[in-house]
Amino acid sequence: MTVVYIVLTIAVYLGARLLSIRFSSPLTTPVFTSTAAIIIVFLAGDVSYEEYIPAKNIMTFLLGPATVALAVPLYHNRAVLMERFLPAFIGITVGTMATIASAVWLSAAFGLSETIQAAAAVKAVTTPVAIEAAAIIGGDPALAAAFVMTAGIFGAVFGPPLLTIFRMKDPFSRGLAVGTVSHGIGTSQAVLEGPVQGAVSSAAMGFASIITALILPWFFPLL
Amino acid sequence: MKNAAFFIAQLLFLTALYQLSARAVSFLHIPIPASVFGMVTLLLLLLSGAVPDRFIRSGAGFLNKHLGFFFIPIAVGLMAYGELIRSDGLVLFFMIAGSSVIGLFITAGLSHFLTVKRKPKQ
Repeated sequence: MTVVYIVLTIAVYLGARLLSIRFSSPLTTPVFTSTAAIIIVFLAGDVSYEEYIPAKNIMTFLLGPATVALAVPLYHNRAVLMERFLPAFIGITVGTMATIASAVWLSAAFGLSETIQAAAAVKAVTTPVAIEAAAIIGGDPALAAAFVMTAGIFGAVFGPPLLTIFRMKDPFSRGLAVGTVSHGIGTSQAVLEGPVQGAVSSAAMGFASIITALILPWFFPLL
Repeated sequence: MKNAAFFIAQLLFLTALYQLSARAVSFLHIPIPASVFGMVTLLLLLLSGAVPDRFIRSGAGFLNKHLGFFFIPIAVGLMAYGELIRSDGLVLFFMIAGSSVIGLFITAGLSHFLTVKRKPKQ
């Protein structure tokens, strides 16, 4: 069955890509439509996530190398990154603190438990950092991973159109914001928007994950 | 045929770099994900000229273009949270959306403002 799940996932992804090219809209973002379609198929066919895990492990084997490969757009856009290093550094640092603080405060305001608040704090960064950082501050790692996925898809789908509504046309700042709040998933969309957006988003997701790992243990108790 | 072998060699190189990064991160106990460590390492290799970018351009370009694909199988894992989504899904969605929007606007706004301020229009 593993082969069937892999073929299904690739077929759904290719279809979703064609759909996004044919009907360009935030709602046709391939990560979003593919994930939704596969979940619907599995729920309808009574397939559990456990059955899909061997296929998942094979398909995600290249996720690490693919993230490493983001160094190439970074390299090609090194001039603009160096030129705007300070605004980028401040933007990512303050943006990361704002997204952590607002996640915790909104969770508290909605009356969610402290375990959920701690898992929410790490939602903007890439999964390996989120899992470890959540455990340190008393959050549930599995729940943190689910929030990371949701934040990533949200950023990929709604990040670019919201920035457009906000009249943010500067490609550098667009990429920076998407990478900071929605890690690799947002970056996968930023890469498609343009080379500068992709490069800056890659740098931002890497940097945001490092900042989060460093500040969260003392920043979270202050909130 | 030659191109295909070259392409696969590039993917193998990136995979090896990632695996080495994973070892390095766990050995050195640094709080950085292996993928980010590998990204920085590859950037340094490119900057130093040790790895010319034409050696990895097609493989890296392919992975960059399809980066989203690799997240799909992981995101499907959200289906395991059906119960939580039914009970608190809407509130959790508003929390994640609200906080993401705040982070998005502050990051973009600050980066743009600081750039414009530093370099006033002629």
